[in-house]
Amino acid sequence: MRRRMRDRRRKPRYSEGLRITSMMDILTVLLLFLLKSFVAEGEVVTPAPGVELPQSISQDSPEASLVIAIAGDRISIGGETIVALDQTIDGGLGDRLVIDELVAALDQARTQQTDIAVRRGRDDWEGRVTIQGDRDMSFAVLQRVMYTCNQSGFADVALAVLAG
Amino acid sequence: MRNRRGYRKLVEADLDIMPLMNLFVVLIPMLLLSAVFVEIHAIEMDLPGDATTAESDRESLDLAIRLEPDRYVVRGSRLRERSVDRRADDADERLMELLTSIRERHPDERTVRIESPDAARYQDLVRVMDVARASGLDAIGLARHPQSSTLSEAR
Repeated sequence: MRRRMRDRRRKPRYSEGLRITSMMDILTVLLLFLLKSFVAEGEVVTPAPGVELPQSISQDSPEASLVIAIAGDRISIGGETIVALDQTIDGGLGDRLVIDELVAALDQARTQQTDIAVRRGRDDWEGRVTIQGDRDMSFAVLQRVMYTCNQSGFADVALAVLAG
Repeated sequence: MRNRRGYRKLVEADLDIMPLMNLFVVLIPMLLLSAVFVEIHAIEMDLPGDATTAESDRESLDLAIRLEPDRYVVRGSRLRERSVDRRADDADERLMELLTSIRERHPDERTVRIESPDAARYQDLVRVMDVARASGLDAIGLARHPQSSTLSEAR
């Protein structure tokens, strides 16, 4: 106590306390910005790793669904690689439009989803699927994936895009 | 301010912002963690099903945009075939004008088919879809360009 008194006597012009007004300004701006970008509703979709989504002006919000990710070298569902693709235009999938490995995976997903729906006491399986495709993939790959989805009963297809 | 003894006393007029700071310190990390910096949207596709084929038999334009390496070709059953140079900077705007003018003459027309070759880039496809949707053609179907069966075509 005595020392503090002495210090004060020595440097009397220094104001006490931190000057935090400017920091408060920063924090207020930051807080407003973060609150604005806070998504309180709707499905938060995370892009699959290795996939660079195409940009689009679409404003539709994505709905919860099965996600098929098409990266440059593979097609995967939920992080699990279903088919490996090569660098040719059709990704090495061949002339057939149906991708057999994807059919198997989609069948499994459908069984799971209908199972869950039944347990919840509903029988409205919607067959919704979202395709997260890399912007550089070819139409040939997209066409095969979409055709396979349709054949497997997943008729409600949405394409994930980046806003911008 | 006057106290009981009756003389003025200097009062510190600063706001106590420490509680506010505490709130900020908690709120900002929470919001930062939950912030979504990439905004993902969706494009709903119309896949051909049983219901849509029956309906499309009525007198529709059967409008199609064909993606070719250097141009967009817009054609329909009762339309003169027209093309837009794809390499131009304002290709999107010109395609948009063309589609909008078609829409003005046929306001009921909402379906369009995008025919693209196997090698077409997904991003280009999405761009054409955006243009079509912006001009009011919001039922978009995808089709393979009939003449583009050459898979070996260079990308």
